[in-house]
Amino acid sequence: MTSIPQHPNLLIVDDSRVSRMMIRAFVLDKHPDWQITEAVSGDEAIQMVDQQTFNFCTMDINMPGTLGIAAAEQILEKFPTIRIAIFSANIQECLRSRAAELGAHFVAKPVTEKSVGQAITFFKGERG
Amino acid sequence: MDKLTDLHLDALSEVFNIGAGRAAASLSEIVAEEVKLSVPSIEFRKCAELNAKVLSLDQSQLGVVKQKFSGAFTADASLLFTEESALEIMRDMMGSQISIEELAEFEQEAMCELGNIILNACLSAMADMLEIELESSLPSYTVSNSDDYIQSIIGGEDQTYIMILHIDLEIERRQVNGRLIFLFSSSSLSTLRLQIDTFLQKI
Amino acid sequence: MMPHSVAPQGYDWAQLFNALNTGIILVDSKGHVLLWNDWMSRHSGVNSEQILNHHLSDAFSETLPKSFIAAINRALSTRLPVVLSNALHKFPLPLFSTAGSGERISQSIVLSPLKQAQGELICLIQVTDSSTSIKREKMLRDHSELHKKDASTDPLTGLYNRRFFDAQYAIQMMQAQQQHTTLSLIMLDVDYFKNYNDHYGHIAGDSAIIAVANCIRSKLQRSSDLAARYGGEEFVIMLPNSTPAVAQSIAENIRKAVTDLKIAHINSMIASHITVSLGVSSCLPGVKVDTVTFLKNTDLALYAAKQKGRNQVQYLPL
Repeated sequence: MTSIPQHPNLLIVDDSRVSRMMIRAFVLDKHPDWQITEAVSGDEAIQMVDQQTFNFCTMDINMPGTLGIAAAEQILEKFPTIRIAIFSANIQECLRSRAAELGAHFVAKPVTEKSVGQAITFFKGERG
Repeated sequence: MDKLTDLHLDALSEVFNIGAGRAAASLSEIVAEEVKLSVPSIEFRKCAELNAKVLSLDQSQLGVVKQKFSGAFTADASLLFTEESALEIMRDMMGSQISIEELAEFEQEAMCELGNIILNACLSAMADMLEIELESSLPSYTVSNSDDYIQSIIGGEDQTYIMILHIDLEIERRQVNGRLIFLFSSSSLSTLRLQIDTFLQKI
Repeated sequence: MMPHSVAPQGYDWAQLFNALNTGIILVDSKGHVLLWNDWMSRHSGVNSEQILNHHLSDAFSETLPKSFIAAINRALSTRLPVVLSNALHKFPLPLFSTAGSGERISQSIVLSPLKQAQGELICLIQVTDSSTSIKREKMLRDHSELHKKDASTDPLTGLYNRRFFDAQYAIQMMQAQQQHTTLSLIMLDVDYFKNYNDHYGHIAGDSAIIAVANCIRSKLQRSSDLAARYGGEEFVIMLPNSTPAVAQSIAENIRKAVTDLKIAHINSMIASHITVSLGVSSCLPGVKVDTVTFLKNTDLALYAAKQKGRNQVQYLPL
């Protein structure tokens, strides 16, 4: 994949405000120059990707409305270069493989410095 | 009591969803099917306010798995399903030649395990996120009339507050919903709130 | 919280520990065995000297089930007690009966993580033999036992009743879909039964129903095959794990057996004796259909048999 842009745009998608706060805090701690936008649902995220250009995205799975994995699928269909990290506590094999099929990366919740670090590594294209 | 703010509830909701995710992963290993578990809503009430409408489970017979947690704070935790739902879950999990009559014989043990998996996952998620230590008793399972159950909570001495979470359990595309109930004393709830505050400050 | 019991002095704890009628294992946080009682030795074939300080999984020649390993890991990482019900884990550990048969023991297991004085974690594993309650289940599940239960049998014929059939049918349908096997159904009824009753009377009518039921029973081969009286003169048969060919063959055997009875039926429009019409249908693996639709289809097959002249078997695929 090509190198990442100067000030990448990250979309955080999670219905939990606390989760969004935590991901934002951990990301900005490592990369204070990244731009961050938040969406509270898969449906909102699908709309936002049409309005702004995003390089990266973190996606929760259990949200009201369109499930995270379906939203990720729709977003990747339109913008296949967006790198999506799927955050979920449900580490069942079928979910992991579905994420892999989409080309998305699977990160186990809870949101911690470590798990966010894994997502960032994926975004930067370093196979961590 | 100072009510828990939306942010507190949001943090708890996230904790329980993580617990639910882990429980789903454990359950799916056991039944070798896809299992989905989510916690769509959370609310706090005073025990005295509890009635059938608040609980909103239509059937009158309830299957209840109980565990008592202690350590950083104390709480009685229960997983509730209508008896009908409990038997459905059992059939989905056991997928065997057992007839409905005999299913009831296994209900006790299997529901204890189901409740144990879900309650442990939720509480350990809480312990992990809030960085506290919790212990638990072994699970017990009883079937009771929902009016009797409600009465036992309203009449309970130490507990003043009840936290009710709706949970949706889906095994092989058949969805069942139940309730996670936590009973807190006034001081336990204050302790919990304090711990959530400590956690939020770190963000 | 109840205070912990105080251990009274002056007992030989090792003796008590080994006299327990329950398997007791203690492992450290890495899964190495610290204690292993006599019950465990007797039923595993491994004694404590052999296994002490080795990893639990080394005690057994078989690989331990993933679910058991997952449970121990969960108990150690969360420090919360874990139960393994016999219902969901039949044989978590390879343990065998010492009484003659040497068969595998059904178990219930409880894992209790315990924090020791210096803060180190150990895990108590209690293994209980659930065989006695399982044998009770098996007895209850045996069809001959079930026949004695009024709630599930038809008093006239001794076959199962509709209520029991409906419940079993739902379960078998789900099982067939889960295990990708073929479930077949036969629906049959006595041709011109109303005419028979009107002419020969109700007592004769009852006798005829009993005779047909006996024919059905005599042609069913396996204990999993289930026949029920569905209505006055209507019967339904459920054949788990049976192909359409087998189901049709059984249906034909029944048809022939009934006609061979040669029970005189002067008012039958198609024969001089009692006959039955049978409809057969099968739900093949991968076919996603609900119980109502499948049953209806079998009923349609029966209807086709009637339309085509009665005293015959018709098969209708789903």
